[in-house]
Amino acid sequence: MGYVLAATVLLPLVGAIVVALLPKSAEGAPRPLAIVFAAANLGVASWLWANFDRTASAIQFELKLPWIPALGTSIHLGVDGLSLPMVLLTALLTLLAVIASKNISEQRKEYFSLILLLEAGLAGVFIALDLIVFYLFWEVVLIPMFFLINIWGGPNRRYAAVKFFLYTLAGSLAMLGGIIGLFLLNGANSFDMIGLREGSAALPIATQAALFTAIGIALAIKVPMVPFHTWLPDAHVEAPTAVSVLLAGVLLKMGSYGFLRFGPQLLPGGFTRLSPVIALLAVISIVWGAAIALRQTDLKKLVAYSSVSHMGYVMLGIAAGTGAGIMGAGVQMFSHGLIAGLLFLLVGAFYERAHTREISAFGGVVKVTPVLAGILVFASFASLGLPGLSGFVGEFLVILGALGPYMIYAAVAGLAVVLTAGYLLWMVRRVAFGELNADRATMPDITLTEALAIGPLCVATVLVGIFPQTLVGVMNVAVEGVAKVLGR
Amino acid sequence: MLAVTDMNVTMQMLLPEIIVAATGALVLILDLIWVRPLGAAPSARPWLAYVGIAGLALAAVATVAERHTSAALFSNIFVVDPLAVFFKVLFIGIAIIVLLYSVETLPRFTRWPAEFYALMIWCTLGHMMLASSNELFTIFLSLQLTSLPLIVLIGYAKHDGRSGEAAIKYLLLVLVSTAVLLYGMSLVYGSLGTSTLPDIGAELAKRTTIGPALILGLVLLLTGFAFKIAAVPFQFWVPDVYEGAPTPVTAFLSVGSKFAGFALALRIVVTALRIDMDWHITFGVMAALSMFFGNLSAIRQSDMKRMLAYSGIAQAGYLLVGLASLSQEGVGGLLFYTVAYGCANLAAFGVVMIVAEHTKSTRIQDYAGLARRSPLVGLSLAVALLSLGGLPLMAGFMAKFYVFVYAAKAGLIWLVAIGVMNSVISLYYYLRVVWQLYVPAGEDLGEMKVPVRSSVALTFCVAGVLTLGIFPEPVMQAAQAAAAALFGG
Repeated sequence: MGYVLAATVLLPLVGAIVVALLPKSAEGAPRPLAIVFAAANLGVASWLWANFDRTASAIQFELKLPWIPALGTSIHLGVDGLSLPMVLLTALLTLLAVIASKNISEQRKEYFSLILLLEAGLAGVFIALDLIVFYLFWEVVLIPMFFLINIWGGPNRRYAAVKFFLYTLAGSLAMLGGIIGLFLLNGANSFDMIGLREGSAALPIATQAALFTAIGIALAIKVPMVPFHTWLPDAHVEAPTAVSVLLAGVLLKMGSYGFLRFGPQLLPGGFTRLSPVIALLAVISIVWGAAIALRQTDLKKLVAYSSVSHMGYVMLGIAAGTGAGIMGAGVQMFSHGLIAGLLFLLVGAFYERAHTREISAFGGVVKVTPVLAGILVFASFASLGLPGLSGFVGEFLVILGALGPYMIYAAVAGLAVVLTAGYLLWMVRRVAFGELNADRATMPDITLTEALAIGPLCVATVLVGIFPQTLVGVMNVAVEGVAKVLGR
Repeated sequence: MLAVTDMNVTMQMLLPEIIVAATGALVLILDLIWVRPLGAAPSARPWLAYVGIAGLALAAVATVAERHTSAALFSNIFVVDPLAVFFKVLFIGIAIIVLLYSVETLPRFTRWPAEFYALMIWCTLGHMMLASSNELFTIFLSLQLTSLPLIVLIGYAKHDGRSGEAAIKYLLLVLVSTAVLLYGMSLVYGSLGTSTLPDIGAELAKRTTIGPALILGLVLLLTGFAFKIAAVPFQFWVPDVYEGAPTPVTAFLSVGSKFAGFALALRIVVTALRIDMDWHITFGVMAALSMFFGNLSAIRQSDMKRMLAYSGIAQAGYLLVGLASLSQEGVGGLLFYTVAYGCANLAAFGVVMIVAEHTKSTRIQDYAGLARRSPLVGLSLAVALLSLGGLPLMAGFMAKFYVFVYAAKAGLIWLVAIGVMNSVISLYYYLRVVWQLYVPAGEDLGEMKVPVRSSVALTFCVAGVLTLGIFPEPVMQAAQAAAAALFGG
């Protein structure tokens, strides 16, 4: 069974190699081939989802192979309720991103090969149960992302790619320091995330807090939390559409997922000591991200800052550490993956038609592209947390969960929804409604490819909104375990 | 350790060295009786390199056969132990790769390659003997055996003024460092009355006070290998010599010569320097300075060979971190690092040679769009540089990780912090080149044909980098066994 789980990494990896080795003459082949590999991987992830035991608290589909005994590290893979939704989200969004990349015209096989490599790295981060393996995958994600932005990005891509790289690399090295510290202080001579639990939880609180600070900086950069967020808008603006989808949809979740893994499960004492700081930064991110989004004139930047704000809710839920808070964080991670993916696909579609992302360059497009405009309205409602759609479930649970430990923060986060509604609805009004901008009068409506990429996300958003218990059921046992460790 | 007195057994133990010495001679003889009579017929010349490679491969087999041996020859002046075997296999591997590269590159600057091959093989013999030397005078002789051929090799491109200049510079360096080393040896011998390293260690351990003459002697002894490994403050010769020397020789210098210095350093430091002094600090400071100097200087370079020269100084710093931890695991890390660095650096220099064949240039700006002209070459350089920068999945990451973990365990947290900081600095200039590979060149220069021999050597190095990055265990075990031999006896 463990090998099925390993397939979520190996399948895209093999796909990346196969696509990279295609002959130059096969110009049409890279995308269909990448679709096949990504679809197969979604199949594997769905199989895992279907066969996951929702009542067991143990790690499932576990695989443990010896790797480097000299360094106390082994290839240890497995999923629990916290990681399985992320594995599914990775597989789903990668497939849609590949489908949406129809218009990539240069160096196609390199592009699709890197997207698949990215998928392998992302899946690896979520299934790794050994700190070194985790760190390797964490870094593997960096390399394709750097090239994807740097080669296929917008005019200012080099600056954005280097900024992204240096930010995350600086964070990674702090994390590596923390991991080495964990290894040396633990005395277990092992990097196993499960095996280390007992020893690391027994460390003095101050030591735990120091280690968690080092690791937490890397995670906070990835999430990103204010004040570590400045790389995100640049990276998003320059990245091609499909890459933005993966960046916002999955990459950011590496950070919040890491908080769940390293915090309550490895360094609970340090996490508890630092959680007021995390909660404060989370609330600042929520408000700051929304406030900045309010005054953006660039559609993509607006969506990028809205990600900062929405990831703030995830972090508030994690910092609260209550059952409802963590469950809300988990649901919000999944839901934001869907909605951010949706919004970036829409921005990409508009950009492709108008060759600009300035909000003022649009206006009244509902008259020429009713379907696209309609989906934009739908996505905005989902993003601002309309009941019945996925965004509501996550944010509601987060605020509920945070009320106990951080009443004021919860209240602020609740009121910030007004800001969210403000920037989203104002954007929708300026883009979709009002006077039709004469330059946009001939804009074509949604194409089949776009519908194939966008449709599943809309359906999933509704499904999670109406039947959250499917997602909650998978996560429940793991969330209860985390909340119990933290004693909340 | 087993003291060997039987002459037959001794000769058997020396088999790898004998084979290598004979191979060098064979290459020269074949040149005289077979290649030269053919006149300028170029088709026969590669065979001289093949003969050399075959001889070296045979020597490697003979060396590997000694991997479980632990013996002292000639009254303990020459030892055969896992550490020596580890280094000898590494030196032979380096020589084989460089010979493969040379076959393609040599015709550009000389019509008579036989002496080049022979000198390189004999220089490797010197490296191998250095790995086994256990006594001051043997060390001195082995060092000369490596230095003298290198002077000629560096100046081999007779028609290139820079090559001659580099040779003169290296000659002066060798003269100075030899004089310093010899003076140090005489002071140590004069003070202690013995010249084998274990006896020096035993004598030093007995003493409670150490006189100024002995201190000076030990310090001068250390400078002997500091020149070889090109660590700050003995690095000043590196950029000019690396840039001026023919590229295969530069590649050889940057790994073979450097590692020979470390082979020597390990024996001297661990077996002989058994005095109560904080060597952690001495080597730690050297390591830190080398990393900072190398990396900060490399950022400013616009020439690939010079950039790699400065990066080599920084890499010597990382290697010294392993030495500074002065523990068995730390030395194991150092040994693993040599293999990882060797593969990556030889791959990088291989690409430099291939590109120089086509563009006649080593400037970084001429690497633009290389990945489109030849995916293999572009990918190889990218992998090599990312490995040198220490990115995961490459050998360089595992090596740095290994070294840093055990340095931290030895209490050198400050040094690890400096090392990590330097890895970030170094990534800046490595990535700048990698980025260059994938941007479109100003004009379309067409596809780049890569000669078979070069691509074989290149592929081997790149495969080494990736294998060591993903499955480092076998080499790590060999490194640990070699380190254990040094510490545990």
